[in-house]
Amino acid sequence: MPHKPPTKEELDRRKIIGIHEETITNVTSSDIPYHYPGEDHSWDIEKFRKGFSVEFHQNDPYEASFSLIGCDASIANAFRRIMIADIPTLAIETVFINNNTSVIQDEVLAHRLGLIPFKGGREGLHNFLKWWRKPADESQINSSYYDFNTVSLRLDVKCEHNENATPGEKDPTKLYKHAHVYARDIEFCPVGRQEKYFSGADAIAPVNPDILIAKLRPGQEISLSMHMHKGVGSDHAKFSPVATASYRLMPVISIERPILGKDAEKFARCFPPGVIGLEKVTKKEAAQKGSGYEGHEGELKAVVVDPMRDTVSRECLRHPEFKDKVKLGRRRDHFIFLVESTGQWESDAIFIEAVAHLKKKAKDLEKQVINMVR
Amino acid sequence: MSREQYQVPTNSWSGGFGGSGAPAPRDYAGDNNNTTMTYLCGDCAARVPLEKGAPIRCNKCGARVLYKERTKRMVQFEAR
Repeated sequence: MPHKPPTKEELDRRKIIGIHEETITNVTSSDIPYHYPGEDHSWDIEKFRKGFSVEFHQNDPYEASFSLIGCDASIANAFRRIMIADIPTLAIETVFINNNTSVIQDEVLAHRLGLIPFKGGREGLHNFLKWWRKPADESQINSSYYDFNTVSLRLDVKCEHNENATPGEKDPTKLYKHAHVYARDIEFCPVGRQEKYFSGADAIAPVNPDILIAKLRPGQEISLSMHMHKGVGSDHAKFSPVATASYRLMPVISIERPILGKDAEKFARCFPPGVIGLEKVTKKEAAQKGSGYEGHEGELKAVVVDPMRDTVSRECLRHPEFKDKVKLGRRRDHFIFLVESTGQWESDAIFIEAVAHLKKKAKDLEKQVINMVR
Repeated sequence: MSREQYQVPTNSWSGGFGGSGAPAPRDYAGDNNNTTMTYLCGDCAARVPLEKGAPIRCNKCGARVLYKERTKRMVQFEAR
């Protein structure tokens, strides 16, 4: 018997991961060569181009949400991992403490400073600034700092009594000057060509000026300078350009048999708001034989409005009245990304950079393989 | 302080912490041979200059707990 090509329904079915009350089925993808006899599933660039699309849902400077539709989990996961661990950012790397008489220890203070995200002129950050490498000869370290690989910062705060405070004042921030040290107290000291790239609105400054670094009391002082270098998230989490970069699969809710009246309202409450809507059964539907709507004209029925907002809690599967009426699942090839930037990059630029990064990695691998075969 | 400058303390304890018998003075001042060191009072936070062999006591409030001052040198840390 000759092999019949799969129907559209069959192809759609293969793409859905089944979510049942306590189990998950059809987990692994099967669109690979030799999985189905007689079907050619070899990877083809034209086929990929036709099936692939990107759709943006939200694109704010510091938060973006978009869908990659029609690609494999390995690719989506590669993008996610590159965004977290391989996109370079500038962060405080060394702290030179001249004086710290606050209650927070030097090591802890240095660690806290390192985690503060900074922003600055994009051209300067991404093109002008280069990597700093620790010289092999430890004694040459002072001649390894240049304007194109090191950004210098200072923090000098001294806490004193505030003479103008009203008697009986209890609030330490009013009673003392500089009782709280915030990220905005960090001062950028441009060197050489940094004046050109990081001036005015492009100056290196903390993204969130209200980050509390330490608390002081009169007589206490923090006086330190810092060096910032470029780094990647795989080295230390402070270099990661994203707060979160994650994806989830597109939920699928299919109502197999009509859910009507009170049941429909209960069904809608099983999902987050906006996922399930209620519509009136039309005359045409009621007239259709075998549709399940006969004699129910004008009653409310449950319809799927926006499955993307579903959290796939499976609440609806717990109720016996919805048994066999609903099927839950997820689309295997529809990845809903959520990228939240820490502020140094635009959130959509992080993804574009991740794509460029993966391309460069692939090119490097190609070169290696060619060298290997030669 | 170099090894040659270290002096083994000679005075013996004269009965615990109380009384005027100060513990053996050591030359912590180092190379400059300046025997006065400044400490911080644990009670009133005043700067207390102490001579070599002087009783360990704040000259403002009389408290007997004194702290060493923090080093004046720069200390380098990795922000990790």
